Amino acid sequence: MEDLIDQISRGNVSQVKTVLASAIVVLALYQVFLMAVVYGKLKLPFLDGRAASFTHRAVGDTIVLLALIVGFMCIGYFEVGDGIEHARDGESGRAAVHVGAAFLLFAVLALKIVVVRWWHSMGRFLPLLGLSVLVLFLIVWATSAGDYLLGG
Amino acid sequence: MSERPSYAKQMVGSLLAAVLLVLIVVALVTAKIGPGPDATEIRERERAREERLEERQEMREERREDG
Repeated sequence: MEDLIDQISRGNVSQVKTVLASAIVVLALYQVFLMAVVYGKLKLPFLDGRAASFTHRAVGDTIVLLALIVGFMCIGYFEVGDGIEHARDGESGRAAVHVGAAFLLFAVLALKIVVVRWWHSMGRFLPLLGLSVLVLFLIVWATSAGDYLLGG
Repeated sequence: MSERPSYAKQMVGSLLAAVLLVLIVVALVTAKIGPGPDATEIRERERAREERLEERQEMREERREDG
């Protein structure tokens, strides 16, 4: 598995993950903007709620796919326990937060998809679930890609 | 007040905005990371990776023995 991921990224596993994770975060922020249009919090002359809702769903599907790829690269290459144990000095705390937030993120994301597609009676919790997903994406990014980019 | 663009135009426009955002982020992050490794760096990384794998294997064996 490690060899496959290494080959696909041409030895730049961390860099590829950083680019993909950053793309995910900017798309997640765009999702909030789209939902503000859908809920009528933001009224724009060039975009209505119906079109914003369609784009929110399409971008959301893309985000899930990208997140699964990054998660697969992360676990396949670094592994959970080894990722924390092999973190640089004083960085195991950051790595542990990253791993914890990432697992929580996938759990909340899965719950959100279930609510959107099948569990409609829980629809009133969608804004809360959406914001939780955004916050978790930001934490996961800040404790890995953000830290890498800002030279932490 | 001006009329809203058609539904199709709104959809395409909002999707294109998402694509544009991703392209900008990819360009910015790639510029920040810098160029990829040259052949020497790749060889060095390969060596470091093999060492890491051996170290992991040893750790696993130690754990197995302890457990």
